[in-house]
Amino acid sequence: MGQGRSKRAAGAETPVPDKCTDPYLRCAFNGAAQTALGVAGSALLAHSPQGCEYLVNNAFASQECDYMETMTLCTKLCVDEIVHGGEDLLARTIREAKDLPISALFVLSACGPEIVGDDIVGVCEDMQPEVKFRLVPVPCAGFRGSQYDGIDIALDEILKRLTKNSKEKMPNSVCLIAPHANANPTWIADLDWVKRILSQMGVRVVATLTHRTPLAEIENVASAETSLVLSHDAGQKAADYLSATWGTEQVCTGIPLPIGMTNTQRWLATLGERFDAQKAAESMVAEGERMVMATCRRKWPMARFFYRTPAAIVADATVGIPLVRFVCEEMEMTPELVALYTSQRTVRTLLERELKELGLTPRVVYGTDVYMTRKSLAEVQPRVVFGSTIERHASEGLGVSYIVEVVKIMRQFRMINREYFGYTGILNLFECVQNEWTMGWRSKERSYEAKW
Amino acid sequence: MKNDSIVFHGNLQQLLAKVETGEMIPKLQASHAPMCKFFTAYYVISGIRHVVPLVHGPTGCPLYMSDFVRTRECCEIRGVPLEPTACTALDESHVIYGGEGKLLEAVREAYAKYHPDLIVILSCCCSGIIGDDVESIAREAEKLVGCRVLALRSEGFGGDFRSGYEDAFRLILDLMEPPKKTMKGTINILGARWGPTPTEFNWDMDEIERLLGKVKIKINAIIAGGCTVEQITHAREVELNASWCYDWGQKLGDLMQERYGIPYSRTGQPYGPEATKEWILGVATPLGMEKKALAVIEREMREVKPDLAYLKKALAGKTAIIEISEFPGPIRALSLARMAEEFGAHPVVINVHPYTIKERMPSIKFLLETGVNPEIILTKGLFKLGSFRSSKETEDELEEIVRTYDDAIFFGNAGRFPPCPVVNLTLMNPAFQPQYGFRGIKNIAALVRQALENKDLPRSRLFKGMLYGTRTK
Repeated sequence: MGQGRSKRAAGAETPVPDKCTDPYLRCAFNGAAQTALGVAGSALLAHSPQGCEYLVNNAFASQECDYMETMTLCTKLCVDEIVHGGEDLLARTIREAKDLPISALFVLSACGPEIVGDDIVGVCEDMQPEVKFRLVPVPCAGFRGSQYDGIDIALDEILKRLTKNSKEKMPNSVCLIAPHANANPTWIADLDWVKRILSQMGVRVVATLTHRTPLAEIENVASAETSLVLSHDAGQKAADYLSATWGTEQVCTGIPLPIGMTNTQRWLATLGERFDAQKAAESMVAEGERMVMATCRRKWPMARFFYRTPAAIVADATVGIPLVRFVCEEMEMTPELVALYTSQRTVRTLLERELKELGLTPRVVYGTDVYMTRKSLAEVQPRVVFGSTIERHASEGLGVSYIVEVVKIMRQFRMINREYFGYTGILNLFECVQNEWTMGWRSKERSYEAKW
Repeated sequence: MKNDSIVFHGNLQQLLAKVETGEMIPKLQASHAPMCKFFTAYYVISGIRHVVPLVHGPTGCPLYMSDFVRTRECCEIRGVPLEPTACTALDESHVIYGGEGKLLEAVREAYAKYHPDLIVILSCCCSGIIGDDVESIAREAEKLVGCRVLALRSEGFGGDFRSGYEDAFRLILDLMEPPKKTMKGTINILGARWGPTPTEFNWDMDEIERLLGKVKIKINAIIAGGCTVEQITHAREVELNASWCYDWGQKLGDLMQERYGIPYSRTGQPYGPEATKEWILGVATPLGMEKKALAVIEREMREVKPDLAYLKKALAGKTAIIEISEFPGPIRALSLARMAEEFGAHPVVINVHPYTIKERMPSIKFLLETGVNPEIILTKGLFKLGSFRSSKETEDELEEIVRTYDDAIFFGNAGRFPPCPVVNLTLMNPAFQPQYGFRGIKNIAALVRQALENKDLPRSRLFKGMLYGTRTK
């Protein structure tokens, strides 16, 4: 994946050195773990040194796994296994897990065992007769790419190894892809919203790849009539595979995900048209927009005072690209910097189309890292940043007034998952803005002490 | 005691013997996975100000440091500015063709971008296996930039978590310059990592600094808990090295003593009055400040007199069941055992993992030499398949064990539900920190009082269900 190009949307590209990066994204092993842990009734075995277990733990939290249901194991490779190979140890660890009440054990290999040539596929094949559950090897060493590459790698293994042939297509059905490739820390709410609106349109979800997805659903993926990728950062390869292998038609291609009124309206209309549910879609749009406006009228968010304030968006493409229109249109700010974690061609095409449509020419940075973000913020000098806790600290001393934390949030805890998709998503984003605005007014010190 | 779930029941000395002979090391590969060597080396190096820890590996390796340590713990909690967690982002082509060229460029780039006082190259599994010569690159790179460039071989597979700390501290020695003078009445505090880590909390360190300040003992550097390179270069000018915990400072303390003849104060964690006195005198006496220290101790003891009287009365004759399940480090448990005994209770330490005993062998032996040798019970649940999380098995086993004692009190955290008063010694509640020193005595007294006075109040079905599920045994 290319990284480190920044440019003015209307100007020439400027290469930025990228030998030393401070990345936002994690490695392929982490993304593969996120994907495997989305399969219900399974366990994950990391064929790795014990430190990689932390990447698994991070994935575990992202998929909101329950430690009473999902077990993660590790072969804890040491020097011996790196020198002599770790296949025996892997086999022994699989044997240790043989009594687990699971339907699948995902075996993920990290950098070390892949470089020394451990054949996890061969070990899984050899061990399969000894265990009752399916063994699914996923070679996903960290050096294979970013966490999004890891999601694609794991989805590929899952689809190739676990789906069954199906001649029958289920009418009005869909396979949801890569809902977890989304930097909303509570992306599960986005997925829930999608499932809700599909249900209202009479569309059946055959499988979600992946979140709490039973193995049986994955086996049935071929029966889905359509696929819907819920990320701009990963999942496209899986959709292409389904299309090429099972003739599954991909829907809602080439448009931003449903964040903000116009994006949501467009996305729902596209779905409605495909599933012959235009009336349902129109009604959802009308009711949703009415609800948002009425709620705003009653709650009176002060966020409307940001008219044409220069803004920056620093996020993954999944949240970042739809935010461009939301920030520009619904919030009436002016996006002057868009820095995205990824840089695939599809991401560039989509963002550039959006910017053109909106008539915007912000500074665009693809594949940004923390250093590039700070440098870009210093140069562009936005007053509002939609980003993460990292930007709050990275923009210190740069005159940024508000950091609206919408991705990778570490300052606040969300007990209840909040979507950004759809109409309640708009209110959730307004709430983030409003709370940051309120904090911006807070007095930093008392001018005198009370007498009591 | 008869209990089918008990796999070891003896004292610390006996457990140590079993660990040393390999009899008591868990064989289940999949169980208990603490940090790897890379992580712990990274922790130590990140505790130096204006350092670029340059990870020579893929982007996954800096995850924990980048997301949690740097942004949350350091920026959000400790007021540390955003520091880089730089990485060479090795990919498949580097794995095949080598990453040395990229590393050299990365060092130059890191210097240009961040203007650091120090760059430390950390190798990880990838760069270690493909054989990138990080030491040579560091030497070459140092000629090209305006700061020291050091390399640390910290491949995750290359050792246990302790070896990462120790190798990083050894590397820090290289930054120490020959002394130009002696800083009278000045010490280094050794063994800190980026702090606060689970074994090293701001409040505890603040209490240590407060007490030292009262005795007029100055601190040159807390190595490596937010110290500067400048402070490290002058580290050999102090009169003495000390640590808030013998265990963490031991390696660097011993090395500095061997190489430079700087004495290292060997004391345990300052939990309770005796250990606190020992800690202060362990530092003050070699500095010739014993008299001043004794005066400070006397004043502080007067302050906590009612708390000490309460603790003696409350704990006399009780069995103190001690478990540190939150962070499976045995040293705090053993320090608590010593304190409980001092107040007249009989300590029983439960479920300190043999793996952690193995990794802290010198410190455990030191504690045994000082007379800390409590009763220890290990249960089957400790060795169960899977990672260290709140475990239904160990909870059930704990409850069963507590029932066998007449007058038990539990020292651990509120995530346990034994049928006895629970002293909530969690390190996650700032309201009762520090636990070290004289202020710690006040907090521990308050926690014991809470436990005893409220022992009949109902416990939370909600939290218990959350932690252990709603199934009965």
